[in-house]
Amino acid sequence: MTEQELIDQAHAAGAPPEALAEDQSAQEMIMHLERDQLVAETFRPVARAQLQGRATAALWALRVFVVLVSLMVVYAFVEQLH
Amino acid sequence: MSATEAAPSPLLGELLLTDEDNARSADRARVHSARNHSKRWRLLWLLLGPGILAMLGENDGPSMIAYASDGAQYGLGLFVVLIPLLFAMAFVCQEMSMRVGAVTHRGYGELVLQRYGRTWGWFGAGDLCLTNLVTLIAEFVAIRVGLAYFHLGPGVAVALGLALVLFTLSGGRYWRWERTVLGLAVFNGLFLLAAILVKPDLSTIASSLSSTPFPHGSFNTLLLLLAATVGATVTPWMIFFQQSASADKGMTPADISHGRYDTAIGAVLAAVFGLGALIAGAALLSHGGSGIQGFAGAGFPQALDRVAGGAAGTVFALGLIEAGAVAILTISASTAYAAGECVGVSHSFNTSLRSAALFYTANVGVALIAAAVILIPGAPLLSIALNANVLATVLLPVSLVFLVMLANDRGLMGKWVNGRSTNAIGVLVVGLVSACGAAYGIDSFLRAVHVIGS
Repeated sequence: MTEQELIDQAHAAGAPPEALAEDQSAQEMIMHLERDQLVAETFRPVARAQLQGRATAALWALRVFVVLVSLMVVYAFVEQLH
Repeated sequence: MSATEAAPSPLLGELLLTDEDNARSADRARVHSARNHSKRWRLLWLLLGPGILAMLGENDGPSMIAYASDGAQYGLGLFVVLIPLLFAMAFVCQEMSMRVGAVTHRGYGELVLQRYGRTWGWFGAGDLCLTNLVTLIAEFVAIRVGLAYFHLGPGVAVALGLALVLFTLSGGRYWRWERTVLGLAVFNGLFLLAAILVKPDLSTIASSLSSTPFPHGSFNTLLLLLAATVGATVTPWMIFFQQSASADKGMTPADISHGRYDTAIGAVLAAVFGLGALIAGAALLSHGGSGIQGFAGAGFPQALDRVAGGAAGTVFALGLIEAGAVAILTISASTAYAAGECVGVSHSFNTSLRSAALFYTANVGVALIAAAVILIPGAPLLSIALNANVLATVLLPVSLVFLVMLANDRGLMGKWVNGRSTNAIGVLVVGLVSACGAAYGIDSFLRAVHVIGS
């Protein structure tokens, strides 16, 4: 919808002149931002991805691996301090 | 969402416009103007930022100390080749996070949490908080080391770090925060100046390019060096930071090519300045550089002072202060972004303190905790500084895997998904980082429990 169409629509809806001025500036602002950049849009959660069982298992394996290695590093670090 | 959000307007239907939208729109208006008037250099200037900050932020205190320590202990050798290679690797990872941020307009933390579930989102945030806290302590140590050269104590280091955090947050605009930190980050070039001041033998540097011997020393030392050097180029906070900052800056798919320039410029600068620290450190090689080992750089400025003159020592000390300060700002910001994204509240520099209390509290709070640690008498600060990069390397694979998954998610990215070559390099990076971290972790653990000799 063009800016003029938006203004015409607001006229038809009986919007007061102050609101029109405000709306024109708001329309300019939206023209500089993509709709999905607006804060209201970014707060809408994205859909959950459906991971296959193997992918989930691989992610858990990686997580366990990282936790184990981290514990080893922390243990070695504490030992070094002594 | 901002507390000062505007009422729905008759023109815009159900849309709610916030102060954050207004601020971001003003920034975007300048980008559109530059693009429409074909002002290429101005457009580049406007879109520079997150990439350079992520890369130069990672040229932080512990990293520069690690490079200088590599040079002091082993000379140039392997590292002259390794550092640029690792920054090329970092470019691939950071380009992905920039692209995901520009296309989705969302930060890494919230995307992982929403797309793959709360468990993975909170795991990622937990990893980030742990590595960020440890790294921030190391940054304050670096500032403290730099200031010690000028006979200033830890209290000044804490005051300086916290004052910078508060000052940069006071603007209430992403643009101002970014430009202030960029202005500070330029001084990372002091390490290049330090390299010039030590008057390196150019033929030695050239010969390093033709022969890249592995450094001598124990297997564990080599693993530590590799893990620390990898951890000095790619870390979880960089991924969180660049994606969130790209979204906060308001980047869109139309800006991706400039985002790549930004990231590439950052990678080149960081590699050059990192090599500067390596070359400056190498000046100590023939002057008892091995004595610096394990010293976490506390003696570097003084040692350079003795070997290469007061100017080199002073420049190196100032460089450490700058490296620590910039990293404190960027790492605190990444923590704040992650906190806001995971809890689901406002997380933008374009939002007021009242509207994004958690974001600002996390930003200042994590720096405050790290600052408090370095004031504890007898705290193992130098050991923490040495191990900060290693911990980052160990925890990095999970962040990288989710980044690659997001960048391949056609539902989110559309035509901007990874190409085959990017995926191949991404998988290679995950494998390398996992192998380095695991090898060091397992070897260190086995030594600690005396299964293998130390």
